Amino acid sequence: MAYGPSTLRRRLGPEGRFLLMAVPGALFIVVFLLGPIVSIIVFSFWRTEVFNLIPDWNIDNYVILFTESTYIEFLKRSFVTAVLVSLACLIYSWPVAYFIAKHGDRYRLLLVLALAAPFFTGIILRIAGIQGVMGPVGIVNLALMNFGMQPIEFIMYTQTATGIGIAYLFVPFMVTAIYLSLLNFDFELLEVAKINGARPWRAFIEITWPLNWIGTVIGLVLVFVPSMAESITPRFLGGPNAASFGSVLSLQFGETGTWALGSAMGVVLFAVSSIVIFAMWRTVNLQRSGFTGKGS
Amino acid sequence: MAAAGAGHVATKGVASLLLGGLYLFLYAPIAYVIYISVNKDLIWPFPPQFTLEAYELLANSSTYKDALWNSVLLGLGSAIICTFFATMGSISILKYRSRWRGLIAIVYLAPLFIADLLVGISSLLFNRQVLDLPGNMGSAMIANAVHGTSFAFLIMLAQLARYDWRLDDAAMVFGARPLRCFWEVTLPIIWPAMLGAFIISFILAFNNLEISFYNLGAIPTLPTIAWGSLRFGLSQSPELFALAALVNGAVLLAFTVMYLLMRYRIVSFGHRD
Repeated sequence: MAYGPSTLRRRLGPEGRFLLMAVPGALFIVVFLLGPIVSIIVFSFWRTEVFNLIPDWNIDNYVILFTESTYIEFLKRSFVTAVLVSLACLIYSWPVAYFIAKHGDRYRLLLVLALAAPFFTGIILRIAGIQGVMGPVGIVNLALMNFGMQPIEFIMYTQTATGIGIAYLFVPFMVTAIYLSLLNFDFELLEVAKINGARPWRAFIEITWPLNWIGTVIGLVLVFVPSMAESITPRFLGGPNAASFGSVLSLQFGETGTWALGSAMGVVLFAVSSIVIFAMWRTVNLQRSGFTGKGS
Repeated sequence: MAAAGAGHVATKGVASLLLGGLYLFLYAPIAYVIYISVNKDLIWPFPPQFTLEAYELLANSSTYKDALWNSVLLGLGSAIICTFFATMGSISILKYRSRWRGLIAIVYLAPLFIADLLVGISSLLFNRQVLDLPGNMGSAMIANAVHGTSFAFLIMLAQLARYDWRLDDAAMVFGARPLRCFWEVTLPIIWPAMLGAFIISFILAFNNLEISFYNLGAIPTLPTIAWGSLRFGLSQSPELFALAALVNGAVLLAFTVMYLLMRYRIVSFGHRD
C-alpha cells in the first residue's frame, strides 16, 4: 500500500500519465467553451418571454435573421469590414514583420514586444485613446480646424473610422503571427535562390511567401474573428448609425433581453467564423510550410 | 549590381518607414491619453496647463476603488486557473509522445479562435440556464480563464520547448515522487515561464470587457466602469484619462520587465537570437 502512487504511475505508462496531466485542462475548456456554444445553439431554437427562455422549439429566430433586411445588412457590413481590416493588416504587417525578423538584429525582441504590448491594455481604454486622437472632436480634427483647415471627413463617424479603429485593436496579432513564422524561416534559402539566379521578387513569391503561409493564415484568422464580432468600436467611432452585427447582438442581451434571437445571432457569428477558419486552414499544407513538429 | 543594391536599400527604407508608422499609430493614442491626463483642458490642451486633478478625482472615487479591487480579484483568480492548466497542458504535450497530443493542443488553442463577445454571451446563458449559476465573480473568473488559458499555454509551450525532460526522469529514477520531482526539479527551472503566463493572463482578465461584462452580474470592474463613462463622452470624465494613463503605464512596465528578463537571458519565452 505504501507504494500506491508509484505503482499507479508504473501501471499508467506514458500514455496514461499524459492523459492524467492534459485532460483536466482540456476538460475545463471543453465544458466552459463548448458547453456554452452548444447551449446557445439549443437556445437559438427557443423563444424568449420577458427575460426568460421558453423551450418552445421553432426556427423563427433564424427566419427573422435571414429575412429582415436590417440583420442581413448588419451581417454583410461586419463581414466586409472584417475582411477589409484583415487584408489591410496583412498588407501592412508583412513588410514590418519581415523587416524586424531580417534586419532587427539584437533589437528585434524589443521591436516586436513594443508592437504587441498595446494590445494588452484592453479594448475600452484603447478605444478611448483612439477616439480622442481621430474622433470627430479628436485632436487631429481640432488641430486642422485650429489652423483654419477642413477636418478630415472620412474619419468623422464613418465606416472607415470604424475600420481604422478595429485595425488599431487587432493589428498586433497579425504582426506577431507573421513575425513568429519568419523567426523559424531559414533566410539562407533566399541566398540559395539568389545564387541560382532568382530575382528577389521571384524568391519571395516562390519561397518566403509559401513557407510562411501558415503564419499568415493564423494572423488573418486571429484578426478576422474578433473584427467580425466587434461591438464597441462602431459605437464610438462609427457614430449613431454604424451598428455592427456584434453591437446588435449585444443589444439582445442588454436592453431588449431577447436572448433566443441573440443566441441565433451568436450561432450565425460562430458559423461564419468557423467557415472562414476552415476555408483558410484548407489552404495550409503543413509539409510545405516547413512545419517539422519539433516546436520552435 | 549597384542597381540591385540601391533597390535593397530602398526596400529597407520603405519597411522601416512602415514600422515607424505602425509605432506612431499604436502609441499616439497612448501618448495622447497620458498627456491629457495631466492637463486642465481635456479637449484642446494647448498651451498645456498641467494639473493632477484627474488623478485626485480617480483616487477619491469610491466607485473606481471598488472596481479596481474587483478587477484585481478577477485577474488573480483567472490567472491562477490559467497558469495551472497551461502548466499541466504544456508539460504533458512536451514531455510525452501520445497520439492524443494533436487533439489536446487543438483544444487548448481553440479559445483563441472564438471572439470575446461570443464567449461572454454564451457563458452567460450556459451558467444561467444549464448550471443555474448567477453572474458573479466566480463565473467571470472561469469565463475569462477559458481565453487566458490559451495565451498562457502558448507562452509556456514556447518557453519550455527546450526544457530537458530527462532531468525529471533522473529524479524519478532516484525515487522522487512525481509531485516532489515537480517541486524540486521542474519548478525551479520553469517558474519564469509560469510567471510570464501568469502576468499575461492576469492582464487579460483585468482589462477584459466583453467576457466580464456578461458574467459579473452587477459587480463593477474597471473596464465596465470605463465603458459606462465613455458612453457619456470623453470630455465628461477626466478620471478616465488618469485611469487609462495608469493602466497603460502598468502594462508597459510589465512588458519592460519581461523584456529585461529575456534580454539578460534569465528567461527566453521561446525567443531566440
